[in-house]
Amino acid sequence: MAEMLIWVIPLVPTLTALLMLTTGNRRILSGLDIGGSSVLVVLTFILAHEVAASGPQAFGVFRIDDLGLIFLLLLVVLTLAVSIYTVGWLKQAVEVGNMKAETLRYYFPLVQAFVATIVVTILADNLGILWIAMEGTTITSAVLIGYHGHHHGLEAAWKYIIVTTIGISFGLFGTVIIYAAASNVMGAASSMSWSAIMNVAHRLDPGIVRIGFIFAMVGYGTKAGLAPMHLWLPDAHSQAPTPVSALLSGILIKCAILAIIRFQMITAAACGAAFPQQVMLVFGVISVVVAMPFILAQRDLKRLLGYSSVEHVGIIALGLGFGGAVGTYGALLHVVNHGITKAIAFLAAGKAIARYDSRDLQSIKGLFTVAPTCATLLMIAFLSLAGVPPFSIFISELMVLRAGIGHGNWVSIAIFLAMAVIIFAGLLHHAGAMVFGKPTVTASREPEARSPLFAMLLLAAIMILFGLTIPATFDGYLQRATEIVIG
Amino acid sequence: MSIEIVHRIINDFGALLLFTMILIVAANQISGAIYAVAAQSLFIAIAGAVLATATGNVDLWIIAGITLIVKAMVLPWLLLWVIRRMDVKREVEPVIPTLTTLALAMVVVVMSFHLSASLDTVRQTITGNALPVGIALTLNGVLVMATRKTALSQMVGLFSSENGIFFTAMAVNKGMPLIIEIGVILDVILAVLVMTIMVLRVRSTVDADIADLHRLRG
Repeated sequence: MAEMLIWVIPLVPTLTALLMLTTGNRRILSGLDIGGSSVLVVLTFILAHEVAASGPQAFGVFRIDDLGLIFLLLLVVLTLAVSIYTVGWLKQAVEVGNMKAETLRYYFPLVQAFVATIVVTILADNLGILWIAMEGTTITSAVLIGYHGHHHGLEAAWKYIIVTTIGISFGLFGTVIIYAAASNVMGAASSMSWSAIMNVAHRLDPGIVRIGFIFAMVGYGTKAGLAPMHLWLPDAHSQAPTPVSALLSGILIKCAILAIIRFQMITAAACGAAFPQQVMLVFGVISVVVAMPFILAQRDLKRLLGYSSVEHVGIIALGLGFGGAVGTYGALLHVVNHGITKAIAFLAAGKAIARYDSRDLQSIKGLFTVAPTCATLLMIAFLSLAGVPPFSIFISELMVLRAGIGHGNWVSIAIFLAMAVIIFAGLLHHAGAMVFGKPTVTASREPEARSPLFAMLLLAAIMILFGLTIPATFDGYLQRATEIVIG
Repeated sequence: MSIEIVHRIINDFGALLLFTMILIVAANQISGAIYAVAAQSLFIAIAGAVLATATGNVDLWIIAGITLIVKAMVLPWLLLWVIRRMDVKREVEPVIPTLTTLALAMVVVVMSFHLSASLDTVRQTITGNALPVGIALTLNGVLVMATRKTALSQMVGLFSSENGIFFTAMAVNKGMPLIIEIGVILDVILAVLVMTIMVLRVRSTVDADIADLHRLRG
């Protein structure tokens, strides 16, 4: 049953995408979108139940364990929320001419195809399939980023496809090198399967695995948006249609983190945990530091959120770099918390931008007066991103910090803390300026559309719940995933 | 064929590949760079055929054939078609002088050999000098992408980068799984198609080279 599910889950978005090609009607397309996403959620919950009951499941080139499950759960929840949001967002975007009605028949299938490639990256046990699916996400999302078809969109899409394709070819090289090392040990029975390589990982040659890890780290790190390979990220996240931005920031960059974790585990087994941790720490610290000035001086709302993603991916890398049970648990929890919170932030920002017809932070003022619910959601998302208790990101950041103190790496901790404080002030300043004050006369005062609000409230409920308490079932997944990572 | 001879042949092809790489870096005209990268793919296909004969690995024949058709013929033809279609007047347009790029390319080659000389065990699993040559091609491809302003030159850089990975992957003693290599080639084709569409679209809407747009900053 569970084995079959592993094959069915990637097929759901694929079939949905194919079905969508048959129609151009917006209502039917939206219905298929929500329907497909709901089926995906239900199947994933069943699979999660099976994994909790009987451990990791494998079938052919696909495999799911608790680690992958965390990312899969995040993906399906975000996909469903984004599908619901799209209904109201699209109606408005078509009315003002941001999206052309005749190109919609390609938009929806592309989003579902994008989701399908992400599902495959999460489920892939074979490192080659992982790479192919990761490049697949680049191709589908590049088209989506340039979807509006104006200069800026196409410029961002080009930069994205070039930078991430360069990056990902480093990832492929890393994969080939690790495979060469593994085939040396495994002999004729060699395969690119991650679980098979893990079985012999302690016998791999440390020198070659180190080189392979650096290549893989730079490669998948580009896709994850770790500085200094993050150059594509602010452009792509700011130019993509809002629902796509939410998926890019919420789940895509996290999947690259999952790929890095896979390589980190092989490397830790082959040459000790210290080396990959050191590499992660360097990238983590650089990311947090690089993001800071751009967050403070930012004038474009969606770019601001993009740079904030660079910071948070850096924090995830720091958590993995500090390592140990606390650091790894904190990093995995941060993946989920940031995914949910950043999706709310992008979705609310999209609604705010539509109201003011501008992404300039200086022209968005008094959002609370024109759209109270959206303003409240934007505010709590910003508070959470800044790391204010009792929201969920506070908890995971605290864990990362705790792991750092246990690790005794005072320089990294000092830099992390200093940057977190400065970014805290910057984010609150930006959020306050947007939400409070007197709105401009041109701001739209239409009543708030229901479906986007419902989607954001759904995510906000999860965010607040995770800040107060982590549900026991999910805590179980996180605990077991942590055990898998630290071995 | 004895292992010694295969090693020698692969090393000779490695030298040819590095030579085509230099031609790509030094090319003044975009069409020259495209012919050079086509030649590079041709050499990789022949090297694949040699390895297939030597190891008796049927998969390698298929990979060599696909490389020959897709990378040495179809994709270069597509790029040349785009040039004719867009009536490209501007050529390579390096960001830094070509001589400096050439010097950097040399440094990359030397470093690649130096790096893989320190990896003794792997040298046994990868035939001849395929690893340093592969690393050198990949990094030089990235160098070309980073130092050229026009979209087509950047795509040529991407091709030679992929070629480097392919050369190394072919020379791994046990060979890469066939399905993976085919998947990788499919991805490359799709990426190139998407890039070509973007280039043509920007050309038709704003009459500019897509790699030349610099409005997004900060």
